[in-house]
Amino acid sequence: MAEALVSSQASLSSPALTAQRAPRANINASQWRNALFIAPYLFFFVTMLVFPLIWGIWLSFHKADTFGVGKFVGLANYARLFGDKIFLQSVGNTFYFVLLTAPALALLGLFLALALNRQTRSAAFLRAAFFSSSVLSVTIVTLIWRIVFIPDFGLLATIYGWFGAPAPAFLSSPDLSMIAIAIATIWWCVGLPMMLFLSALQQIPGEIYEAAALDNANRWQTFRSITLPSIKRTFILVLLIQVVMQFQLFGQARLMTQGGPNNTSKPIVMYIYDVAFKRWDLGMGAAASEVLFVLILIAAMAQFVLTRRRGEN
Amino acid sequence: MTRHFRSWIMAAASVAAMASASPVLAQDVTEITVQRFFGACDADFGTNTDVSKAVGECGIITSLINKFNADNPGIKATVTTVEWPGYDQLTAQFAAGDPPDIVTVHESALSDYQSKGLLLPLDELLATVGISPDSFTDAGRGGVTKEDKIYALPIDSWTMLYHINLGLFKQAGLLNADGTPILPKNVDELLAQAEQFKQKTGKPYFIQNLANENALFTRNLYTYLFQQDSDFFADPMQVKLKTPEAKKVFELYKTIFDKDYTTKNMDYAAAIQAFLAGEGGVQLNGTWVVGDYNASAEKAGTALNSGGYAVYPYPQLFGGKKAQYADGHTWAVSNKDDRTPEQLAAIGKFLKFFADNDFEWSRTGHLPAFKAVLASDAFKALPHRDTIAPIAELGTPLPSAVQRQFAIQDIIGEEMGAAVTGQKEIDAALADAESRINELLANL
Repeated sequence: MAEALVSSQASLSSPALTAQRAPRANINASQWRNALFIAPYLFFFVTMLVFPLIWGIWLSFHKADTFGVGKFVGLANYARLFGDKIFLQSVGNTFYFVLLTAPALALLGLFLALALNRQTRSAAFLRAAFFSSSVLSVTIVTLIWRIVFIPDFGLLATIYGWFGAPAPAFLSSPDLSMIAIAIATIWWCVGLPMMLFLSALQQIPGEIYEAAALDNANRWQTFRSITLPSIKRTFILVLLIQVVMQFQLFGQARLMTQGGPNNTSKPIVMYIYDVAFKRWDLGMGAAASEVLFVLILIAAMAQFVLTRRRGEN
Repeated sequence: MTRHFRSWIMAAASVAAMASASPVLAQDVTEITVQRFFGACDADFGTNTDVSKAVGECGIITSLINKFNADNPGIKATVTTVEWPGYDQLTAQFAAGDPPDIVTVHESALSDYQSKGLLLPLDELLATVGISPDSFTDAGRGGVTKEDKIYALPIDSWTMLYHINLGLFKQAGLLNADGTPILPKNVDELLAQAEQFKQKTGKPYFIQNLANENALFTRNLYTYLFQQDSDFFADPMQVKLKTPEAKKVFELYKTIFDKDYTTKNMDYAAAIQAFLAGEGGVQLNGTWVVGDYNASAEKAGTALNSGGYAVYPYPQLFGGKKAQYADGHTWAVSNKDDRTPEQLAAIGKFLKFFADNDFEWSRTGHLPAFKAVLASDAFKALPHRDTIAPIAELGTPLPSAVQRQFAIQDIIGEEMGAAVTGQKEIDAALADAESRINELLANL
């Protein structure tokens, strides 16, 4: 047996066979055929994202309606856009909405995650309960909140009625309409930030908390010196994801207030929808879309820069 | 083995028979696609084919299409119901090259699609099924005629009305000796009666859906501009709203709002609920709710049953011509290259069916689009038709050459709403409405 093994090793190391062996392939070498692995994704990325993006930019320089592209108009659509008070108002509305929702979602998500980061049945049930609203469609969410806010017959009106007071007109007051949409949105979207924070919290090693406990650190000190620094990157990630998502507000505003009253709750996407599909002014709608694209791009780049800098540190 | 072999043979024969029979079955049934608004009510009328038992727009149109399918086993009209008015979806369908065969379109929106060549001229098709445009009412014919061709089958004329709670009017001392309501003849009388109503009933004179509402504001403005002989769309490509006439209408509705002569913060559904619950004297709503409100008034124990329900055209408040804004619903047919002669014939039958059943549709409260139905005893015998019949003469649409009337409606509604509720000065709102509409029309 031992002889056979020695003989086998000798034959493997013989110069004749070594000469015949094919050169070992460098798996890290750059080869064109490797592109085949990403080809399916690339195909959809180009056709569904890159091409529409370029097509949209091209449209924004043309007079176009839903049924055809007309003459080249240069920057005329952008000039009309920035001369339109309603568009500027919708940009302001969108920033206001992002300001109302993104920090609130991050803070509320963190609070819920801290409160429910424990291995008990009630915590598991509450985690599922708080996340459950996220699976609802926007139609159901707005229907629920319309039932709450609707004057005279809504839940809020009923509760105020018990105290003989009129309920605030959340859906028709220029000061409250966007707040109403923000409340519905926070209720709808809080599940994802909570889950992201929970996963971040569960990655903090328990030994650090044990060491803090040995040092007699109180809860606030532990949170400020251990928890918060450990989840800083997640916090920034959640905040920026929410900024990007909430910039795209449409369904809630469309279904709850139709952008009113007096356009005070009309976000940019709804403006784009109105211009492109109600007025059939596709060129101007495309121009507004490009402005929104730039705004979201800035937010996404900020996320990229901030998270990379943190990583480097 | 023999039994298994026989089973296989039987199965194969069945599949072959099905495969050969399917094309025959498919050839026997001609499918046409129908898209409509008017709501969904399949739970109540999804299988009903007895149209006389249906009430309301949704019930009647659902039952009519059910009956058409039942009466024509060789045709299958597949219905898609869209949220009112459904034009965003329809426009996208046209752009994608996949429009429905037959679709509900307002007369005021026909120009948008006709001007792009998206609708089929129906003169020949209607002639083949024996429908003459001469049988249309003047309003109906005018609404569907573009460049001397018929582009849709009109099924009604509609307008906004004063829906009145007679019990509250009696309490307010606003009933004549014969039990008819006392309606204002000018702006001062309207405001005085609204004040009297509020004092005596503790409720607002008007029930209006003002919460994020556009259509009601716009229709009210058009009506009272017509009554002042304001030719605000003399040029269909340019509107004039910075006028004393428009300002008077804005001021009137602002006064009504400021003095609490109207409900506030209600959306459309809430306003209907409020009227049915007796929360105000007059609801401004369209012809389409006459049937439903009358049904409520006939039901014991309802707010409308206790004192009665009446419905009238808008009162003439200004010294100009007697008029009020009106529009109409139609069935339009999309222009399609790949439509078969059988499908075209089926569409003709569908249109003929609706022309023949225009009386049933008029039970909704809409005025019929056919002269014969309008003049018929059966129509005149319907509840409240004696009081609303004058709208056949009063009804005035915008010039048909005005395009994007629904987008214009939104702009006027937004600006008028802002002015009436005090979020904007009236002059600024009028100037903004005018400039926004003209910017839209200049870039068609």
